[in-house]
Amino acid sequence: MKTSLITRGQAFFFLLLAVGIWGFPGNSPFVLKGATVYPATGPKIENAVILIENGKIAAVGPGLKIPSGVQVFDVSGKVIIPGLIDIHSHLGFFDADINEFPQPIGPENRALDALYLDSPDWAEAVKGGVVTLVTGPGSGERIGGQSITIKTFGADLSKRIIKEAGEVKMAINARNLSHIQAIRSTLIKAREYMETWDRYDAGDKKEPPPKRDLGLEALVKVLKGEERVRCHAHFANDMLSFLKLKDEFGFGLTFEHSTEAFKIADEIAKRGVGCVSLPLVMRIPLNEDLMRGNAILGKAGVKIAFHTDHPVTQEKWLRLCALLSMRYGLPEEAALKAMTINPAELAMISHRVGSIEKGKDADLVVLDGPWQELASRVDWVYVDGVLAYDRAKDQPLP
Amino acid sequence: MRKRNDFIRMSLLFLAVMAILSLVCPGTEKTVAIKGGTVLTMAGKTIPNGIVLIKGEKIQAVGDDVRIPADAVVVDAAGKYVMPGIIDAMTYFGVRPFDLNDSSNPVTPQNRIIQAYYPFGQFMKGQGGIEPDKEILSGGVTTVYIAPGDRQVIGGQGAVVKTCGPNFDRLILREPASIDMAIGDPPKAALGESAKSPVTRMSIAALIRKSLIDAQEYDRSQKAYDAKPEEEKKKSPRPPRDLGNEALAKLLNREIPARIESDLPDDLRTAIRIAEEFNFNLVIDSGLTAYLLKDELAKKKIPAVLGPTSHPFVSGGEVSSTPELLRVMDERNAAILAKAGVKIAIASFGFGFGGFGDAVQGKWLLLEAGLATGFDLPDEEALKAVTINPAQILGVADRVGSLEPGKDADVIILDGYPLNVKTWVEKVFVNGELVFTKE
Repeated sequence: MKTSLITRGQAFFFLLLAVGIWGFPGNSPFVLKGATVYPATGPKIENAVILIENGKIAAVGPGLKIPSGVQVFDVSGKVIIPGLIDIHSHLGFFDADINEFPQPIGPENRALDALYLDSPDWAEAVKGGVVTLVTGPGSGERIGGQSITIKTFGADLSKRIIKEAGEVKMAINARNLSHIQAIRSTLIKAREYMETWDRYDAGDKKEPPPKRDLGLEALVKVLKGEERVRCHAHFANDMLSFLKLKDEFGFGLTFEHSTEAFKIADEIAKRGVGCVSLPLVMRIPLNEDLMRGNAILGKAGVKIAFHTDHPVTQEKWLRLCALLSMRYGLPEEAALKAMTINPAELAMISHRVGSIEKGKDADLVVLDGPWQELASRVDWVYVDGVLAYDRAKDQPLP
Repeated sequence: MRKRNDFIRMSLLFLAVMAILSLVCPGTEKTVAIKGGTVLTMAGKTIPNGIVLIKGEKIQAVGDDVRIPADAVVVDAAGKYVMPGIIDAMTYFGVRPFDLNDSSNPVTPQNRIIQAYYPFGQFMKGQGGIEPDKEILSGGVTTVYIAPGDRQVIGGQGAVVKTCGPNFDRLILREPASIDMAIGDPPKAALGESAKSPVTRMSIAALIRKSLIDAQEYDRSQKAYDAKPEEEKKKSPRPPRDLGNEALAKLLNREIPARIESDLPDDLRTAIRIAEEFNFNLVIDSGLTAYLLKDELAKKKIPAVLGPTSHPFVSGGEVSSTPELLRVMDERNAAILAKAGVKIAIASFGFGFGGFGDAVQGKWLLLEAGLATGFDLPDEEALKAVTINPAQILGVADRVGSLEPGKDADVIILDGYPLNVKTWVEKVFVNGELVFTKE
């Protein structure tokens, strides 16, 4: 007689377990009450109530009536900001997997295929309040490949991923004449590829379809405005050249690093290009002029977002970038936006994340003091309504 | 004729007297009174609405009822904070990166970092670089420890210098200040590339022991020669001098300590073991996991110069590519050590030059101390970790590190609480001279 793989008793146990997991606070509705909430898209709310249901923010406000039967956590005296977003990271990669150096043009390469999900860096990022990342190829190639948009925490990988691929990473370096032309030739090829397919789709389809090219396919999405280009650039003249390329092909664009962007702030603002920008925390010794760049960009109306460029600086220090920018003249409100709603909008994921608003993912960072101060610490981090970090569970100070 | 001789003689005498006078008292001693600020003396007390009186190059008095002489220049510090100049206890400031490591040899105790020190900004000007002296002064850093790089096992002799001064010699506070060594990943990474021994931790430790035994032998033979009667000395020549062994002998005679950079707990244990075997004074550098050995360090009075909180990667590349380290390190390292009674300094391990360097820049050291308060380090300990503690660890506490009468007048004025991220250093005095004013 064949024995069943699991006994009936075991089956019952697993059923109970499943119910138990389902009943975990992450999925049953709960309320965080009494904190000062910075929604990032509006003024701060004192003594706020946030209702979380099914991993989403069901309601937020100062005088909300708390539904009966809902678990209430009193977080009076705490400060809550949206889960932080870093749209330029290399977290989750082995160093050797970031750059495909022998292949300068590789839009078909996808970050997900190299992702190292067991890296301890993910948990460290959560600890710093960083919940959503765009992580992807490096800047060693002209077109490095497609990045992934992913949360830093979650049991189910498919649910963690917000966008599997799409955003194309490009890089122009050090005033090199050939860089722009290499990208331009590739975009022209992509445009021809797009036209070939358009002709085929419009025809009677009696001929076999054109041969697929995964790299050009990715660039077609860029040309159609469905995905954006992320372009690594430090120097102002490199950025000007790339802006010309944008004028020619009309793609959506963010500059990454954007070291000298402040020198051409008006040109950038005029075209609605975002800047993923410095400072990269205290490690990078930039001079005082460059450090003031963010305030200048902000004033010119450029949408800015901070990045850590992990592992250049560790992911968990994203909030420090905001503090340093404030030191160098960026207003507080703009600094908060630059690590929440701005990167969400630049990465086209603001329907899901980036602010504390009804309907958005319940990604929340609870701090023990003002988020604007060095001495404040992250106490809890919620990702999709699940408690992803709890400082009380850290080893106590020996 | 005679009259003329007299004239010359008198003139020479006059010149000699003037020369001596100018040496003894360079100009008239200027008096400066910094008045009205909250004075963090770092000598145990904080004085609200205090006065720091500077006479010439030294601090004359600190208190709230100090009489200000009529001829004093009064600096109004009302609403501001006044504290001693910041001390960065481990940095490569003023040394060009290619001057840090002698890759030809893993053991070069004869090398002196002071010979590569050039803190003045001029040679970088106009080349797109920053001006190191101005940059570091903007962070209130007035004294630094500089050392050879960490890519050798015994890199050479470190120095304690000021970041600013009237001439090169006057910059030096202590030299040699230490023998700088590294064990563990940094030298391994560098030495492994050359495919020459040492490439393992075992042989790095063995090499340090061998070098120290050589130095013991050398020291013994030199001392034996010194002890000989003069007659005999005339007959036999002194054993040949060796600058490397001479430097290591200072370590063995406990005139200077060893600074050993190491991060993993077992590398720290190796450092302690060797220090005990050869009976020298040890300072741990970087020490990312030093908290695991807190009681031992406290009991043996071994201080630790820790790396910056925001970027604890200083040894052996990125922390994230060293999973062993990531598993055991803790941002509360400084707090745990301080609580256990270990003397700690927080240092930048940074370069002073422009471009994309590899480490935190010294000018942000106060912010790093502020960040450590976010990881359980009490404010007072954080401030001590960048002032009086490094002064004591570096052996220059008689000169700098606190605002006390008789110490060098290295004083900074800040526009707010020093550990606040938005606070700026407004004025910096070094040796009583105002050397930096924020624009």
